[in-house]
Amino acid sequence: MLRPVKMSRVVVAGSKNVIAPVVEKLHELRLLHIVNYNGSQPSFEMGKPIGKAKEYSEDLIKLRSVTRYLDIKNKAPEKTYAESQILSELDNLLNNVGADITATFERITAIDAEVKTKQDQAKALTPLAVLPLPLDAYYGYDSLATFVGTAASAVDADVARVSPVNEIYSGSAKNATFVAVFVPIEKAGDVSAVLSEHGFSETSVPKLEGNVDSAIATLEGSVKSLEGEKAPLQKKLADMKKQYEDLMLATDEYLSMQTQKTEAPLRFAETANAFVIDGWVPTDEFSRLKSELESAASGKVDVQLIDDKEADDLVEKGEDVPTKIDNPSLVKPYELVTRLFAIPEYKEFDPSLLIFVFFPIMFGMILGDIGYGVMSLLVLLMLKKKFRTDGWQQLINIVMIASVWSIIFGIFFGEIFGPLGLWGRIMGQLSEHEIEAAKHAGLYFGEGVFGSLGRIGFWGIDIFPMDRLATNAVLLLIGTSIFIGVIHCSVGSIFGIMTELNYGEKKHAYFERLPVMLFQVFFAITLLGLVMGQMMMVYIGAIVIVVSIVMNVMGPEGAMGLAHVPSYVSNLISYLRLLAIGLASVGLAYAANQLAFYVIMPMLSGGATNSAEFSIPAIIVGILVLFAVHFINFLLGILSPFMHPLRLHYVEMFTKFYSAHGGGVEYSPFGHVRKFLKA
Amino acid sequence: MAVVADAGTLYGLLAVGAGLATGLAGIGAGVGEQGIGAAVVGVVAEEPGFLGKGLFLMLLPETLIIFGLAVSLILMFAWTPFSGIVTP
Repeated sequence: MLRPVKMSRVVVAGSKNVIAPVVEKLHELRLLHIVNYNGSQPSFEMGKPIGKAKEYSEDLIKLRSVTRYLDIKNKAPEKTYAESQILSELDNLLNNVGADITATFERITAIDAEVKTKQDQAKALTPLAVLPLPLDAYYGYDSLATFVGTAASAVDADVARVSPVNEIYSGSAKNATFVAVFVPIEKAGDVSAVLSEHGFSETSVPKLEGNVDSAIATLEGSVKSLEGEKAPLQKKLADMKKQYEDLMLATDEYLSMQTQKTEAPLRFAETANAFVIDGWVPTDEFSRLKSELESAASGKVDVQLIDDKEADDLVEKGEDVPTKIDNPSLVKPYELVTRLFAIPEYKEFDPSLLIFVFFPIMFGMILGDIGYGVMSLLVLLMLKKKFRTDGWQQLINIVMIASVWSIIFGIFFGEIFGPLGLWGRIMGQLSEHEIEAAKHAGLYFGEGVFGSLGRIGFWGIDIFPMDRLATNAVLLLIGTSIFIGVIHCSVGSIFGIMTELNYGEKKHAYFERLPVMLFQVFFAITLLGLVMGQMMMVYIGAIVIVVSIVMNVMGPEGAMGLAHVPSYVSNLISYLRLLAIGLASVGLAYAANQLAFYVIMPMLSGGATNSAEFSIPAIIVGILVLFAVHFINFLLGILSPFMHPLRLHYVEMFTKFYSAHGGGVEYSPFGHVRKFLKA
Repeated sequence: MAVVADAGTLYGLLAVGAGLATGLAGIGAGVGEQGIGAAVVGVVAEEPGFLGKGLFLMLLPETLIIFGLAVSLILMFAWTPFSGIVTP
């Protein structure tokens, strides 16, 4: 649970005759994390693909291009197919259906291109309407040069200067002057130079006939008919997508699987007659792997376990042991949080279980409201049905477990949609003399704490919820937050020490990781001593803090280690966010309730002081206000209690043990999880 | 000791100080996060696997505002420096 699954290094060697059944079996078992052969041994070559690898990959390329035309993306399967079904449909799907789809798609592309050209032509033609020339007058000359375009100023005089023989037409449209200049071809260079002085910019004239207006009308007509042709083609593609989507994804899966199998030998080492596969397998699955492979290859294969010492040598030389994280199903969603940070190395700890313990408590402590907790549970139950991918399901499970904790803390804090609101109505108010009695019993949390709050009783014991907004409750929560921080960080430090010992780095363990823990624990004890007035605790705490700093200086970083000391304190102060973010959300909820129950409702019912006298419209407006503010608060109240504990884990806790040696390689056994294919 | 101010004024000044502590710390944290956030979004667009580390980096300056908040909490709730100099 806390450690990745124990792995063993295995070598599978066999005769080339049985390579196909061995690969088939490995693929089916999904146990062996193959270590790619890097070609370093002179007596072994890299393996070559077996069977019809080339055909499968060609088919796959064909299929993928068709699926791209149909815009098919991976999705949750609605239908599953047997492999025989895929095989019988394969040829038809790739050749007939595929060709049809390709042709349709290409026709649509061609139509789009043609429409674009015609629209561009029509756009180029529009300004020419100001010139009194038919379109065929613009082209087809052997001895004339033609310049058509816009000019900033009148060009007649200057053109006439360099080319006495000329024909110039001009007209203005919108805010540009349009000119068409015809000159003998030998003057073209001079005229072009002159025109550029007038800010001339040339327009290309489409080679069409007739006058401009009718040409534009013809173009627009053909654009319309092309669009008309395109619509049914698009519908055809949409229909085909609906019909073939699952089949195509299943075929894609089948072909990918076949390619994976046929190309697997590329990762093996080979001689003329034999093959060798290196890999890692979970230790307790080794015997299964061995017996299954041997029966599949009818004894012509040798599966050997490499002993730990030799495996360590391989690791020393740079081979990564794959990390297989394994947790009970309740903890599994929290692997998402671990993964988001990094996959732990094989020798490191898998912190998912710790996240499972701490994260929901922190979330609950921040949100701490029965109303919001129940709301988020309901919303998440709905989302759980809607978002079915693994990632979403994990995320939803994380927040659901956290919501339960928020309900529990809601009972401690006496909040149902904030203080002041429903708690008092449901649980009743405390009377004056009961408050006095509570004070006498030592349950005094500051003035106003019990005022609006009720109580819940179990078996004759009354639990008084505390009001998070009251002064003493804030002070209590400051202390609680920091002590949660001390526990959280210490667990991280203990993991850090154990990780360093796993790697055999005693100096790092005892002089880099341990002082952090000592410092933080005794810093908290010193604080507690100060608050309680126990000077003995303060002295002891202070001494240990000094010792821990000295240890740090003696550690691997030397005097530079002192630079980290302020961060030990700031790590702990960082846990104040558990209180602070909660207060912000309580504050908003409190404001909403105050506004609705004590401002809007009484004012709109003409200054009524008793809730029974509130008028109906006043209650409606009040409820609308309540709804709006609580909705905003609810959205914020899910987001920040999620992000901040996450940060506390990533920054304050994981750094104590995690990042010491960098990310690991995730165990990904050779094989395939079937989605669209029946097993 | 001479009376220099009444309790209300001093309490008001304390509240202003507390507000400034949280507010200015918030601005500082925001300025810090601005650059990191932009960079992280850029990196994540290129390589989604960086999200976790990016989030981690982005949340580092958040601690600043918590310091500000700690100071305000102390000012508002735990510190009574004027008990000797205010009018009863």
